[in-house]
Amino acid sequence: MHRLALLRPHPVLMAILTGLVFGALLLLLSGQNPLRAYAEMVRGALAPRNWNNTLVWAVPMIGMTLVAALPLRGGMVNLGGDGQLVIGGFVAAMAAIYLPLPGPLLAAVAILSAMLAAGLYAALAALGQTVLGIPMLISSLLLSYPAIGLTSWAAGFPLRDTATGLAQTLPVPEAARLPMLFGPVSTGVVLMALVAAVVVWADRRSVPGYELRMRGLNARFARYGGVPTARQTVTVMFLSGALAGLTGAIIVLGTHYRFINGALVSPGYTWSGLMAALLAGGEPLMAIAAGFFFAALQTGGFAMQREIQVPRVLSMVLQAIIILFVSLRNGRGAARKEDRS
Amino acid sequence: MQWELETTGLTKRYGRLVANDAVDLRVAAGEVHAVMGENGAGKSTLMSMLYGLTRPDEGAILLRGQQVRLASSLDAIARGLGMVHQAFKLFEDLTVWENVVYGAEPRRFGFLDRRSACTRVQELAQRHHLAVDVRARVRDLSVGIRQRVEILKALYRDARILILDEPTAVLTPQERDGLFAIIRALRADGRTILFVTHKLHEVMELTDSVTVLRQGRVSARMRTAETDADAIIRAMTGRSVNLSVARSPATPGAEILRVEALRVPAPVRGAKPLVDDISLSLRAGEIVGIAGVAGNGQSELIEAITGLRAAEGRIHLNGQEISGRSVAARRAAGMAYVPEDRALTGTAAGARATEALLMGRQHDPAFARHGVQDGAAIAAHARDLIQAHDIRITSERTRVGTLSGGNLQKVVLARELDFDAPLLIAEQPTRGVDVGAIEAIHARLVAERDRGHGVLLVSAELSEILGLSDRILVIYEGRLIAELPGAEATEQHLGLLMAGRTQEVAR
Amino acid sequence: MTLLNAFTVNATVQSMSPILLAALAGSLCGRVGIFNIALEGQILVGAFASIAGSFYTGSALLGVLSGILVTALFSLILALGTTRFRGDSIVISVGMNLLASGLTAYLLRVLFDTAGTFSSPEIAEVKRIVIRAINTTPWIGWIFSRQTPITWAAWILTILVTLVMFRMPLGLRMRGVGQNPEAARTLGVNVERLQLWTVVAAGALTGLAGAQLSLGTVGIFAEDMSAGRGWIAVVAVMLARNHPAWAAFVCLVFAMADTASVQLQAQGLPNQLTDAVPYVITLAALVMGSLRNRKRRQAALA
Repeated sequence: MHRLALLRPHPVLMAILTGLVFGALLLLLSGQNPLRAYAEMVRGALAPRNWNNTLVWAVPMIGMTLVAALPLRGGMVNLGGDGQLVIGGFVAAMAAIYLPLPGPLLAAVAILSAMLAAGLYAALAALGQTVLGIPMLISSLLLSYPAIGLTSWAAGFPLRDTATGLAQTLPVPEAARLPMLFGPVSTGVVLMALVAAVVVWADRRSVPGYELRMRGLNARFARYGGVPTARQTVTVMFLSGALAGLTGAIIVLGTHYRFINGALVSPGYTWSGLMAALLAGGEPLMAIAAGFFFAALQTGGFAMQREIQVPRVLSMVLQAIIILFVSLRNGRGAARKEDRS
Repeated sequence: MQWELETTGLTKRYGRLVANDAVDLRVAAGEVHAVMGENGAGKSTLMSMLYGLTRPDEGAILLRGQQVRLASSLDAIARGLGMVHQAFKLFEDLTVWENVVYGAEPRRFGFLDRRSACTRVQELAQRHHLAVDVRARVRDLSVGIRQRVEILKALYRDARILILDEPTAVLTPQERDGLFAIIRALRADGRTILFVTHKLHEVMELTDSVTVLRQGRVSARMRTAETDADAIIRAMTGRSVNLSVARSPATPGAEILRVEALRVPAPVRGAKPLVDDISLSLRAGEIVGIAGVAGNGQSELIEAITGLRAAEGRIHLNGQEISGRSVAARRAAGMAYVPEDRALTGTAAGARATEALLMGRQHDPAFARHGVQDGAAIAAHARDLIQAHDIRITSERTRVGTLSGGNLQKVVLARELDFDAPLLIAEQPTRGVDVGAIEAIHARLVAERDRGHGVLLVSAELSEILGLSDRILVIYEGRLIAELPGAEATEQHLGLLMAGRTQEVAR
Repeated sequence: MTLLNAFTVNATVQSMSPILLAALAGSLCGRVGIFNIALEGQILVGAFASIAGSFYTGSALLGVLSGILVTALFSLILALGTTRFRGDSIVISVGMNLLASGLTAYLLRVLFDTAGTFSSPEIAEVKRIVIRAINTTPWIGWIFSRQTPITWAAWILTILVTLVMFRMPLGLRMRGVGQNPEAARTLGVNVERLQLWTVVAAGALTGLAGAQLSLGTVGIFAEDMSAGRGWIAVVAVMLARNHPAWAAFVCLVFAMADTASVQLQAQGLPNQLTDAVPYVITLAALVMGSLRNRKRRQAALA
């Protein structure tokens, strides 16, 4: 029986294959050779000389994947990642620019205050649900827009670096910047790897992780077993927001060296991360793998565009098709179970 | 003689379980015909087949001598069958008339003809003495009125045969009397009523003939006027009465649980409280049974005691006041709880046995230190419980969603008994469990008592309440209406009390 | 500078029609029990298909029709996904939004060899209807003249959808299906089929919304040009509890807030702040609504 189960194709693998087939059809329709395009993608993402690019893309990608995965593990959805991300990036930049602290301490304080601010902002959406009964799905999404608007205004007007003519803040001081490891890869990658490891470990080995998983499987069971679900909602959203804040801080202190209007939101980390987390059903390790996979798709997409002029947005299309097929397959499984009972 | 409705050799199997075994039902035109049986005797399966919701494996259904195939409830409706389900199937936000005409709406120029719909429903209601405001929204209506809406739905579709599935289970005595008047009027109108119930006195009071089911088979078929309560009970229960457990008299000790003036308000405006001013006390070393027809507030009472539902009033557990405290705090004060629904509340289908068996003790220093779980201890503990309670499971890492009902119940029971808490709340502990497992579970509950723990037992099974309880409290419409020593209670006596008929008992 | 003049009133009415059409679509889906948060992506697909159709045929009408048709087809993902495959509407919707964004951007590059914005003299825009008799009449003229047929259609459809929903047997069945599908099924309604066609019809409405956005205003397509309108429609649907007429009212309030924010910009307030105004108003409305509900609930308990 176990052997049979192994032979049966894994639903996620099937969805990825289906996505690739659809993508190939799309490529054929637009007069491209799908094999060549995919080869360029793979080379672009995985050839040793491109590893750095993939890593630079993967760090925020995995950060935002965890942002989505953490609440999802407990059956909750955080759609406000964009707002939390910009708050994190903005607060990190502000702290780094304006706090009179020495070197490494400055970076640490900037990162921590970014996490705190974004976490509190996310917790606001959780309180909206637990105290006021506004669905978190909506409140988290709506809270995004004022956050984006405010930071974008601040970068465009009062805190603008007038020397550059762009809507961006002053650069952060050298001392607050994350040290570089190699090429364009900063120590942010180490930070993110550590955080990811902690999340995976906490999910599997810690009591709060156990309580969150049980809630995701059956919220009523968790409540019955004494899990304080309302408090848990707020805590989990705070942590989710804090992860978004960390991601924003790593981008600002490790890559852009300032808060640039729109630069955190436009790559679409939040939505891709949500996709990756949904793909994994919230399980952190699988989600990280999916996040990596999507990051590779993205960097591969860049290479494909550079080498053979196939638009890189194709990788976004592939992500969407994959997630759609996974959701359909999951749905059908659930339907079968329902029929049986 | 031609029967209005007849089944011959109707059989339905679910896996190895034979829910209906060659059932022959014969219903004459214009009679009120009772279908009786204990829970699990196969009444619901039979009704589902008659209404086209379930396809029989063998046998035939005949209407006025004609064999019919009922592929869906639509077929049944088209052939003049109507059904009032125990759980009403109504649209809460729609009005009464909208509910009634739904799917068969009168039209005018393609639009909904509201005026004619209203008048037709109104006339129908008047003709059959179903007093109801046709323009009211269903969500504002009481249970009794909702039932009338369901009857109206069937009559609007011109049902000649009306199936009523446990119609009195949720009614007050007054509403029940009203329903009986309606049923008699429908009979006078020439309609045939199939009345599904497990309440004896209702059968005696209302019906013309009875078919009794036991374990999926017809065990008796008789004219009501020619039989008596004893004969029906024998047919219903057979020898199953001796399910009672051998046990010594109780030796109650100190008070474990005291509930004072507990009240759970109704979720909708103007309705009666779900739990209405209940006070009770439970001592160490005794089993107190709460008897009642499902839906009389017992679930809400237990949820209020365990902290899953907000309530007014005071609760003391083991000398500590726990009202207003969290579930975790109540458990810590010494409470174990076997919930009514093991799949929806007691476990999570996706959880491994280790995880399901840990719930409630996740912070226990034996299994976690500083928030870090001790995987080895958790697994060892799960293995111990699996062995001690004879849970049939591949390994402790298997997901509990794959287990049968009885095995899943063992998982819940194993975990909760392992708390070794002075208070054990057991809610419908043997529902849907096979006979062998029932005995084992009953023995465990008695053993719990004999160890000096207090057991609060909630059950809709009379035999279970009678077999286990040292004291019996009867709950009716959210109130405790009687208390009696377990040794003195009889099935008939308790049945009357559960139906809210305290005066007859007094007499 | 006055807040209300011919131009701003006219622009308010015009800019709200895509949101209104999407909100109608959302209420239809919500009524049959399918929570549609793919409106954003559906509008985008409609906008793109309309532009493409108009560009290739040279006809505004055919452009609009292709927008409607393509978006209806696109909606089959949600329709089949939630009924036949019983998938989760939120996951499917999120996937559809991403797919819409990616696919339109991809096709923009492949078909029109451009990134960002596509405009061409060969795109036939939807003409506005100028009613000479009232063109300059205050209010009446400001509102009704110089609007596209799609804007007219949006208001007529609001009335139609409301009528169907509350005055026709079909609407009664839809409302029942959303509330208690099991009950509807026992009364002989094919629940899945009704849900499927409702979602597809709603898709057609969002296609029209997209057409108004691209062909009805400036005759261009820009990447992600739906720019949050679909989300506003989702919120309008939630606030109106799937009632089309109330959703229209909420859309009107949003549109006025939007116009006011444009005015505030003219007064010197930066657009980054004013862009957030509709969302802040929505949040405030949600908070106030829930506070009121809570008070009512407490009153019921007392």
